[in-house]
Amino acid sequence: MRNFKVIVLVCSLLTGLYLPAQENMKRIPAGSYKPFIKGLTENVNVDAFLLDTVQVTNQDFLEFVEANEQWSPKNIKAIFADSAYLIHWPENDWQNESKTANQEPVVNVSWFAANAYCKWKNKRLPSLHEWEFAALAMPVNSLDTNVLTQINHSWYSRKSHTQQNVGSVYQNQYGIWDMFGLVWEWVYDFNSVVSSNDSRNKEEIASGFFCGSASLNASDASDYVSFIRYSYRGSLKGNYTTRKLGFRCAKSIEEN
Amino acid sequence: MLISFSVQAQQGKCCSTPSTKSKEKTVQLPETSIYQLDHQWQDQSGKSIQLADLQGNPVILTMIFTHCEYACPMMVNDLKQIESQFTDKHSKTKFVLISFDHERDIPERLNEYAGVQGLGENWLLLHGNAEQIKEISLVLDISYEQLENGSFAHANKKFVLDQNGTILFEQEGLQTKAEPVLKALNKLL
Repeated sequence: MRNFKVIVLVCSLLTGLYLPAQENMKRIPAGSYKPFIKGLTENVNVDAFLLDTVQVTNQDFLEFVEANEQWSPKNIKAIFADSAYLIHWPENDWQNESKTANQEPVVNVSWFAANAYCKWKNKRLPSLHEWEFAALAMPVNSLDTNVLTQINHSWYSRKSHTQQNVGSVYQNQYGIWDMFGLVWEWVYDFNSVVSSNDSRNKEEIASGFFCGSASLNASDASDYVSFIRYSYRGSLKGNYTTRKLGFRCAKSIEEN
Repeated sequence: MLISFSVQAQQGKCCSTPSTKSKEKTVQLPETSIYQLDHQWQDQSGKSIQLADLQGNPVILTMIFTHCEYACPMMVNDLKQIESQFTDKHSKTKFVLISFDHERDIPERLNEYAGVQGLGENWLLLHGNAEQIKEISLVLDISYEQLENGSFAHANKKFVLDQNGTILFEQEGLQTKAEPVLKALNKLL
């Protein structure tokens, strides 16, 4: 038993040498992947980065709002969040921790609020490519390549509106919880996919993501769950809030 | 078939707006004003400016980048067409071009571009950092993506802002008609 403790200690120390100490974050190693919408282009490289192991909770967000009054439901400006901002918090009693602070993922938050939260934590929102790359990882101890699709299918078809706590669906091989199965997540550059709804610069627009071209450009046309996810992102605006949309934060790894 | 989602814009209508502006000249901004973004930009002369400094002027605003060879010159041309129909009553109207390209579109480059394009003193070309460009793109709902060659894929939209920075009118596309923009603008005068 004592040996075991020593091994754990040594491992922790060694890990500390390689991993920037960051509470509740895991390192996502550098890699590359083929984005769903980039069927006509090469793989996208993603640098190593840190990602929150779980989504930001109501309890976390309550701390942020209490420390930053301009982000309270009362003070938030319409340009930064629509009128459903934090609507699931008790209207005149949101500061009552026993009612608000729980371990469910915070939802009904806009991109601006999510971005401000991450900055407050000295972090940032993950980029679309970072998020997608991290989400590709299989659940721990799973070798079945269909398991992520199954998680998504059962999530999409779930009718219940009751929310679960963070860290309850599955943990992937990077140690990240619930990339699918709890709530959708904001990414920093969710508006980086220029769709056909936008008047396009024909010369400079790469592959779009929309109706006809989606089926042509998608790297895996059968990847219906990704199609839904990209469509959903494309439907968002920076001040939108919905009861199925939360976020987690990321952080760049400083080069020494 | 693109799946449509029932995400609705629900603009807040309630509540008073606490003022965050300390400048004397600034009256309280509407909650929906894009001037709520209080970033510091630099114009083509290198002068530091906040969008709220435009308060009091009708504004025609768009986002471009100067290395753009196709869409942006057309957009600028559309704006010039609008300007060509100005009369004395439009003397306070400003044109604001915000660059997507925080790396290359530094004030010197913007100044050069303004010169080449023959843009007058009522045109402001703004340089900012990546974060503020992202934020303004989100309040304007302009999608963009930097491509590997350094250029940008982007939506083409122009906006008429009222004297408090609230979007009054927007027009998508290139080689568009000037009349709808002038009509929206003239409501402000």
